[in-house]
Amino acid sequence: MDKKMRPVIKASLHYLALAIVSVIWLIPVYAMLINGFKSNFEVLSTPVLVPPTKITFEAYVSVLLSLAKPLINSLIIVIPTSFISAFLGAMGAYFFYTLSYSFSRASSAISDVLFSLISLATFIPQEATLLPLTRLIVSMGLLDSYIGIIFALLIFYIPTGALLMSMFISVIPRSLIEAAKMDGTGDLKIFMKIVFPLSMPGFISTLIFIIIQAWNNFFIPLVLVTTPGMKLTSIAVLSYSGAYGTLYNDTFAAGMVASIIPLAIFVFLGRYFIRGLMALGGGGKGV
Amino acid sequence: MMKKGTIILVAPTAIFSAILLYLVIWNAVMSFMNWSLLNSKPTFVGLETYSIVIRTFQFTNSLLHSIELSVILVVIGNILGIFIAALLYFLNSNKARSTFLSIVIYPLSISMAVNGLIWLWLFNIHIGVDWLLVRIGLPQFPWLSSTSTMFPSLVLVSVWAYTGIAALFYLAGFMNIDKTIVEAARLDGTSAFKILYKILIPNSLNSFIIATALLFLFSFRIFDLPYVLSGGTTNIFLQTSELYMYYLFTVEYFSQATAVATMITLIATIIIIPYALTVIRRWIRR
Repeated sequence: MDKKMRPVIKASLHYLALAIVSVIWLIPVYAMLINGFKSNFEVLSTPVLVPPTKITFEAYVSVLLSLAKPLINSLIIVIPTSFISAFLGAMGAYFFYTLSYSFSRASSAISDVLFSLISLATFIPQEATLLPLTRLIVSMGLLDSYIGIIFALLIFYIPTGALLMSMFISVIPRSLIEAAKMDGTGDLKIFMKIVFPLSMPGFISTLIFIIIQAWNNFFIPLVLVTTPGMKLTSIAVLSYSGAYGTLYNDTFAAGMVASIIPLAIFVFLGRYFIRGLMALGGGGKGV
Repeated sequence: MMKKGTIILVAPTAIFSAILLYLVIWNAVMSFMNWSLLNSKPTFVGLETYSIVIRTFQFTNSLLHSIELSVILVVIGNILGIFIAALLYFLNSNKARSTFLSIVIYPLSISMAVNGLIWLWLFNIHIGVDWLLVRIGLPQFPWLSSTSTMFPSLVLVSVWAYTGIAALFYLAGFMNIDKTIVEAARLDGTSAFKILYKILIPNSLNSFIIATALLFLFSFRIFDLPYVLSGGTTNIFLQTSELYMYYLFTVEYFSQATAVATMITLIATIIIIPYALTVIRRWIRR
């Protein structure tokens, strides 16, 4: 083989491999993109990988009518949940940061226990809390209410917020905080004036990570909502599963409507989401 | 002593974490009680519920599914993650790298319920991906239509959904390795493949630990995907422990549900606590 040709062949093989991986990975989103625009008639005669011959909005119109209420419900739940979780979590994270100053045995034990707990809340299979969670929400009289769902989500996402923010706050230079402490400033004030503003990019990552997690949460609305009017988007889309004689343009349009917010966030602010994901593994530091 | 302001900082996180702990402990306590719809006054029965539930076919079947799914995903996710991370590492453009990385991570931004709905159609043997397979001369694959290929289909979707996590951490690991070593090797004419297994992989122990722990935890808690793919909780070929536990709840076998829930929590905790205290936290306390 000609020596000059080899780098070219290698580079093309490299891109070929990347292209194959990408095509396989993109098939589902490609199917979702094209099939929502097919007409009811075309659905009956074309396979899902073939693009529509004519773009119609039949499916989107019919799906939006029934998903409008769930979409609003999801927004009412997810916006407060994510902001509260990220902010209160950030406060908790700063507490871990201050604990790491003192090397007393007691504070390190407190820190160990609390950190184990927030990790447990972040990674536990939420399904495992099914019975006590349902019982708790019912006994508070909050079944089928916005507050009830938000409260249940906060049990998992405030700790998640604390875990992620711990990662982002840990890079703030200690000297800044020590200087403020010398002046006799309290921790709460230091958090509001110094730590929180300085950790804004981390806060946005945490916020976006929790928005996407909470938006896509399936289990909590599945068990804490019993009336149709309170359904969230992640549950409402189930009525478009193929089992009930649904036409597939409706399924894909429903999937798109349910995913447009997290997908748009991922496309435009993906680096923040990825940073949030990396925080689950120690922020990618030292890996 | 701690000041009031400091306590206020941690109060919300501590309170909500304490509620979670309360839920977990309540579960564990109730799993030692005899409690169901017919028996509304719980009485202590010790391990009786456990000994009943672990002898049922559905319990072992669903636990095996959960463990098989997690182990297979850890193995395939790590291998594929290394492969994809290497493809990305040897790209010269940062922009191309982050674009391709996004392509393998985007499934995580869509709800698993929606992912499940999409794959239900893609797995349709007449109009799904089989249509393409048949057109290019490959045999039709039965996917969810045959009991023997149902579980592999679930594994396939899980690999598609979660491999991005492994690719992300391997890529971060590779990027942290001293560039001068890699450059020197390239100037010596070392092949990319050799750089990968002589330099990159041996220096990626931390990436391996993180990818393994996260792949295990994400796949062990998987619920919505098999729920949607099997259209409920009772398909024994796709039933995971979480689905079985939810099924026990819906038929009001409350004690058995709490026993299964406690075992699930225990298995997850064995991974979570050491992972959190050794891997994640050392980057905070420095």
